[in-house]
Amino acid sequence: MTDRSFTEIKKRSGTIHLSERAWGYLFACPAFILVSLIALAPINAALWLSLRQQLPIFGIDEFVGARNYLQLLGDERFWAACRTTLYFTALSVSAELLLGFGFALLLNRLSDGAGRGLRWAHVMIILPWAIPTVVSAQIWAWLYQPDFGLLNYLLYAAGMTGGRIDWLADPDWAIHAAVVMDVWKTTPFAALLLLAGLKTVPQELYAAARVDGAGTWEQFRRITLPLLMPVVLIVLVFRTMDAIRVFDAVFVLTGGGPGNSTETLSIYAYKTLFQTLQFGYGSALATAMFVLAAVLSLLYLLLLRRHVQESG
Amino acid sequence: MMIGVFLLLWLATTLGCTQTGEGTDRAPTTVVFKHGKLSGDGRVLSDLLRDFERRHPGILVREELLPADSDRQHQYYAMNLDGGKAPFDLLAIDTIWAQEFAKARWIAPLDEVLTPAERDEFFPGPIEAATFQERLYAVPWYVDAGVLYYRRDLLDRHGLEPPRTWLELARIAKLVLKAEQNSALTGFVWQGKQYEGLMCVALEVLRSNGTDLWAGDRDRAEYGLRFLRETIATHGITPLSTSMADEESTRWIFGEGHALFMRNWPYAWSLLQQEGSPVRGKIGVVPLPAFSGFRSAPVLGGWMLAIPNSSTHQEVVGELISFLTSPDTQRRIAVELGYNPVRRALYTDQSLLELRPLLKDLYPILLGAKPRPVTPYYLLLSQAVQPEVSAVVVGRRSPAEALDAIRRRVDQIMGEQTSTARLGRS
Repeated sequence: MTDRSFTEIKKRSGTIHLSERAWGYLFACPAFILVSLIALAPINAALWLSLRQQLPIFGIDEFVGARNYLQLLGDERFWAACRTTLYFTALSVSAELLLGFGFALLLNRLSDGAGRGLRWAHVMIILPWAIPTVVSAQIWAWLYQPDFGLLNYLLYAAGMTGGRIDWLADPDWAIHAAVVMDVWKTTPFAALLLLAGLKTVPQELYAAARVDGAGTWEQFRRITLPLLMPVVLIVLVFRTMDAIRVFDAVFVLTGGGPGNSTETLSIYAYKTLFQTLQFGYGSALATAMFVLAAVLSLLYLLLLRRHVQESG
Repeated sequence: MMIGVFLLLWLATTLGCTQTGEGTDRAPTTVVFKHGKLSGDGRVLSDLLRDFERRHPGILVREELLPADSDRQHQYYAMNLDGGKAPFDLLAIDTIWAQEFAKARWIAPLDEVLTPAERDEFFPGPIEAATFQERLYAVPWYVDAGVLYYRRDLLDRHGLEPPRTWLELARIAKLVLKAEQNSALTGFVWQGKQYEGLMCVALEVLRSNGTDLWAGDRDRAEYGLRFLRETIATHGITPLSTSMADEESTRWIFGEGHALFMRNWPYAWSLLQQEGSPVRGKIGVVPLPAFSGFRSAPVLGGWMLAIPNSSTHQEVVGELISFLTSPDTQRRIAVELGYNPVRRALYTDQSLLELRPLLKDLYPILLGAKPRPVTPYYLLLSQAVQPEVSAVVVGRRSPAEALDAIRRRVDQIMGEQTSTARLGRS
């Protein structure tokens, strides 16, 4: 009696005759509208802006079609920023994944033993992730300070007396300094996701493997890794998207310098949009960044789907 | 209960009516003064504004602060002025924004606030920077210019005089560094980070060699840029960390006694001379060096006051500007905040010089200070040039390559702007 079926309700309402499908769409409408207002409208506005030349300072606002994008193709600074962004992404994401995996395995082992140490280990590991990026970047800027920073002091104390490295002022070091900071900050995120994945692996599989005489490495390669693959891909997608859009970490450390050696796409877009107020060209830059992130995450999704099909 | 409420309402309405009916004191006019956070005690300015309110009954001045970071301020102003309905009536602008804001018709001409005859009482540099198509769009509020700080005690110990040329500076620095044998001491620090400060340093070095960044003699420009790089690479008098240094970090190095020379703005003086500073009483200020055959070429800095075109209180705000730039106010700002006044007469005022003796040394420097290229496109150009100069400083580009890129880029931007302007007009 309590379970009144949809058709029954429809019959009683009487006046409006719509198929079940149409009702479904109708009910989903508010959600669609909300999403399009919040997400799609700004994206569309940015896309539209990227087809215009808009320089409010000079009262210029006109439709120029693809001209901004053509200009992008010939813009050396854009390509340099692309290279810097991809280099940063490749280095930081792979380091985060490897370190995160290590920490996840360690924490998983710890939680098997159980004990007070575990909670502290969790807190310690999550801490860098909890600090706002701007704050941690500033902390790292002090660590990197060549004259009184901790890092050079440690080098000196370790006996590397030649070790006065200008971490941020040397164009060869600067981008790596930013990578190290980013890895420190976001490895916890990767570790936590992977740890959650590890918890879902059934213990019986390991027991069975042990019975069959598989060593630790064999267990990891045959059981842990394949079962964790979906989580690994999700970590990759999240981290890659974030790394491609990296702004605050690098901006606070170096501002894009020296000699543009750490200028990522988002820093170039920021400078174009907000420091020189070229809204059209800046939007084209932002769109290019969006496309880059979209292409990479599509690749990951394809990988994920193939993996699911293979294992399923 | 209800009766009480009614009584109150009745009382309130009748009182309200009588007030407007008699028309003795109308609702006060509020003008909003938007400016970046000033260094020093914020109460000094608010006291001044209360003074102004006392002299102009019925006017209230509300201060609204922006962050001290000038890029952020520029962003805020641009966004709000562009809409044509700026939520403020008076704004403080950097000298390099005046042309841009005037060209965009965001700020109103102020020829009546500061008549051409009165302008002679001000320094010429800021007036030039604020004049667009022969009309004045902003009134200088306080001025700055690049100067050379030096360690008087170290030079005295080795019987040396402050340098007059850049090569002399390099020679003296090397000499002192060698004699002192102090690994913590470095020779010459300046603002080498990829930002506006680097533009000032580069312009000062190039202009003191009779040329400029995107105009003027190419060989001498190359020579100037090479000198900047060589302070780090061959002379070894500048640490590589200078390529990430801004005003505050150089002041810190010099202030801890770790540098012999420093290029900076005059604001650092009172901070370096305050009690507890390791270099207190051991420092001096001279004009920046030049290359032989040319004159020192300090770059002009400082802030100005302007009125948004959209403000409905133009006349009152004009009076407020006159008040803030009057000799009395300027003297108070100089004494209490340590800012450099815009009126030349104050620099010969004995009572002021007794309180701030540095002003005497600054006078010829401020008088000769030249604004950065006076064009509405300056910020666009500066943004395009900064990476190139920064790349020279860290040795990523040769001065010749960088100059090629700079001049090509500037020609391109200027060409684009003039062509679109032509299109717009036709």
